[in-house]
Amino acid sequence: MKKRPQRRKRRTVPVPIASMGDIAFLLIIFFMVCSEVSRDNSNIQVTLPFSEYVEKIEIPVAARVAIDESGEIYFDGVRVDGAKDVEWGVRALLTNTVSDDQRHVQFKCDAALPKETFEPVLKAIAEAGGIIEAVGENPNP
Amino acid sequence: MRKRYTREKKHRSGEIPTGSFSDIAFLLIIYFLVATTLVKVKTITADLPAGEKTSQPQSDKTPIVNLRGNEIFLNDRNVSIDELNDRLAALELGTQEPSKRVIMLESARGTPYENYFQALASISKHDGVVAIVEEDE
Repeated sequence: MKKRPQRRKRRTVPVPIASMGDIAFLLIIFFMVCSEVSRDNSNIQVTLPFSEYVEKIEIPVAARVAIDESGEIYFDGVRVDGAKDVEWGVRALLTNTVSDDQRHVQFKCDAALPKETFEPVLKAIAEAGGIIEAVGENPNP
Repeated sequence: MRKRYTREKKHRSGEIPTGSFSDIAFLLIIYFLVATTLVKVKTITADLPAGEKTSQPQSDKTPIVNLRGNEIFLNDRNVSIDELNDRLAALELGTQEPSKRVIMLESARGTPYENYFQALASISKHDGVVAIVEEDE
């Protein structure tokens, strides 16, 4: 006699969701620990100069130097008195560097400022051993 | 007669409801992912090596870019920024040894950073090494 085919039992497969919360919080903690707070002081009033040769920077910078439209100099977002302070600051940050990739210093300056204001700062960064990453804008973005 | 209070108090458990924790956490992750902006600025890399100051000229053949107000001079010839680019490209600085890649950059008092930046960008793009010329005091 031919056996009647047995009906397959339908099994419910429960997805384990109990640990989802833990995973999510672990992800949050991971991002919080690994992320770096931007030290770029965006409230500095700067009109950037234009050049068709600017490129997006891929290398992390060791320090950020900015000169706003009134000629005030900022080193990593903190106002400093002059180019000498920038030189000392950059020199201190670059003391333990081992490769050229660690010597990049971002330089942001208002386009209208005269040479007397920005050139001493550029020289100070160069004297301290920094490679200048001058920030600008592309006229044809 | 007073009725005795016989009904038992409902047993309430003091457990914190954790069922929605994962939803909250994932919402937080999504919020941070959406709200985060990756700051990527556009720059030019200027090779401005630190060196000893010298009063002697580098060499007669060392090109000198001179910025006077809004005008650009290359070896005392008035050029536009496009001409400067073409002339620097013709020098093929990338193929030269480092000491021959030096371009001297001199600027008059009051030269705006806009012009300086464009000259610096042009020199850097064509693998030049910038040597700043200082004024005698």
